[in-house]
Amino acid sequence: MSVTYSCCHLDSPHAPLPPSYPSSSSSYHSLDKLYFCEECDAVRCDLCSAIEIASYFCPNCLFDVPSANVRADKNRCARSCFSCPTCESSLSIQASDQPSTDNAVGPTATAMTLSGPPYALVCSGCKWSSKEVGWSFDKPTGIALQLQKMNTQVDLVQSEFDSLKDHLESYITLSNPTPSSSSSSRSTRNPSRHISHLTQMAQRALHRDVGGLVAYSARSKRSSPAEKGEKEKFGWDELDEYVPKDSWRRTGLEKGLEDVDLIRDFEESGASGLAALVKRWQSSWDRGSMSREILPQRIPLQTKLTKRCPHPNCRHLLIQPDTKTVRMKIKMVASNYLPLVEIGRRRRRLPSNDISESPDQMSVQDMEKQRRERRRTRGGNPVREEDELMDTPFKAGETYSFQIALTNPLYDPIQIRLTLPHQPKKAPKTDFSVIIPTPHFTINALKDAWAYEEDDESDDYLMGGSGIGGLEAGFSEEGTTTTGTGTNTGTLSRKSKLTILSSNNNKRSKENLNGIEKKGNITKVGLDIQILPEIVRKSKVEFDLEIRYTYKADDLGTPTNDKDENKSKDKDNSTQNKEEYKNFTFWTRVNLGHVE
Amino acid sequence: MGAFDPIITYEKGTYIETDTGNKVSRKASITGATNIILGGKSIIKNDTILRGDLRRSTAGQHVVLSIGRYCLIGENSIIRPPGKLHKGSFTFYPIRISDFVHIQSNCIIEAASIGSCVEIGKNCIIGKFVIIKDLAIILPDTVLPEGTIVPPMSIWGGNPGKLVDTLPETYQETMESKCKNYYLRFKSA
Repeated sequence: MSVTYSCCHLDSPHAPLPPSYPSSSSSYHSLDKLYFCEECDAVRCDLCSAIEIASYFCPNCLFDVPSANVRADKNRCARSCFSCPTCESSLSIQASDQPSTDNAVGPTATAMTLSGPPYALVCSGCKWSSKEVGWSFDKPTGIALQLQKMNTQVDLVQSEFDSLKDHLESYITLSNPTPSSSSSSRSTRNPSRHISHLTQMAQRALHRDVGGLVAYSARSKRSSPAEKGEKEKFGWDELDEYVPKDSWRRTGLEKGLEDVDLIRDFEESGASGLAALVKRWQSSWDRGSMSREILPQRIPLQTKLTKRCPHPNCRHLLIQPDTKTVRMKIKMVASNYLPLVEIGRRRRRLPSNDISESPDQMSVQDMEKQRRERRRTRGGNPVREEDELMDTPFKAGETYSFQIALTNPLYDPIQIRLTLPHQPKKAPKTDFSVIIPTPHFTINALKDAWAYEEDDESDDYLMGGSGIGGLEAGFSEEGTTTTGTGTNTGTLSRKSKLTILSSNNNKRSKENLNGIEKKGNITKVGLDIQILPEIVRKSKVEFDLEIRYTYKADDLGTPTNDKDENKSKDKDNSTQNKEEYKNFTFWTRVNLGHVE
Repeated sequence: MGAFDPIITYEKGTYIETDTGNKVSRKASITGATNIILGGKSIIKNDTILRGDLRRSTAGQHVVLSIGRYCLIGENSIIRPPGKLHKGSFTFYPIRISDFVHIQSNCIIEAASIGSCVEIGKNCIIGKFVIIKDLAIILPDTVLPEGTIVPPMSIWGGNPGKLVDTLPETYQETMESKCKNYYLRFKSA
């Protein structure tokens, strides 16, 4: 059971494809993962928002790594954070107790474990120690640096890599401003960053080469004799041949001998001696494939991300983290703008002939339930329903009733319209029907924190207890039931709350008859699902809901601002123009589970 | 949040309610209560063990265990201050738990500190001197080895625990309203 919200990405808002199209699922996310761009008045998600890295930090020592150092540190922590080669938890530095064993003669040495060098990295999870791979350190700080100094294993590879990097870098700096001819854009080998649009346009306009750059003219001269045949190659990267420092062919031969040793090792150790593939992928260099040859890795850095609206004309910040704390400087999340949709209280409608069925077999609880039921449907048709758990599978040919709850995140009341989105012509027919008995209703405004909490406290009684029929009784009992938890602020707010309640008591009870339950900034309405008898077994009961809400437009910019109650009351009293209201439509997908 | 969550009831008299709204089960084993601070509106459920007696050996008043507001310590969970040898003598170190921390049932907690808005699932073992920063989720059945540091906005799981995912930016509000909602729903029958 889940309710997810649609993100139209950069399209204009439209109803997404129905759930019968599997391709529609990618645009649905849970509300807490969505963002909202006020400028575009649109929902944004993680898939479409533009992401920039705001800061880097090590998840183990929580050090904020300056972004200038990140590349040199190879995106890993350059202090003392290492992960265990066997279990991947972080290693801790342990001083060896060797001094005590050196001084004392015999096993009756003092329990004093003098902490001193050499230090080793020890895993607290699996007790792996860096002594196993022969690592020990003189100081307990800056392990990565010490390791870099003493580690000569990769020197050969490193120097080769460095020279190759130098070779390529000289090429990049030389040929970066080189314009290339438009004909070569077909070639996939041509790096697009080399194409300067300005020179290209100039070339086209003048029908001749606009060079002036030495590298370019030299290249075009060279290719001019065989121009017809070579035209395709015009903008190809022309690299000097790289001369390796060391012959790798010879190393290849050595490797063959190593492989023989490896097979011999493997025969001795069995399959457990071989390192898991995942672990070998993680180490960047060509390491041994036996598990004892896997070395601890420096812990990869994590990032804090800045997120922007993806619209090319907007690019407003949606998320801007604070590098020092967990707070966000800018946080434009959809949960502050869109009502939260929840679905619950599932009931199965019993056929009418079941009503007379064996009343003597009913337990006291059932009797009470039935009484509550009768009270609930007072004035309507005598329908009997049975409470069911939300996760039980549906039965074919039955009718179920749910309650759908919408929570208003705005400081103003909103109007809601619930509809089923228009289905495309060729959409496969669903084998269940959704009935929304009350598509139009309002939700009260979100109040100040204390008033909201008190609402919950007192109204919980209604919700869990007597339901709708016992409204008045609930209020009179309220005073006695909540005194236990009452604090100083509690008693104050309760008074104010009671006056509020008495003012719209009549209105509330009227609405309750239509199956609308209101509580604070939450409104609950009914929703019926009719499962047709011919439904395929194990098929999902999933449907889309189109929700349109109407809100005051002048609050568009600052819906999160606190608003005095007096102020809003004034607005209510003053005659409102229709222009002040705005609509926003969004689509949600409700997954209720599957058929038996 | 939680419009359909049912009310959680307990038998009247099985929980002690303090002036600040803490609800402490009579069946919880709490030792060294003078060394324990509860922030208010926190719930300590049945059969939990809070070891406030494991204090620093030096004389004077020590706070062993401080728990913030809107916290929950689930059934059969054990909270025990971590201890280690320091300069030749064995000492215990205090545990600090911030606001909005939910610890579910059957957990063993020996952390040094747990930040605000942290949820620890069922059957977790949080090793000695673990530091859990603000805004984190420890999935059920996770074992965090000694000295693990859980950075903010992360989800950890597995044995031994690893960083498995990051949290959405809205998690703080979600967790705060969840904790408040839970406290309001937890009532005597």
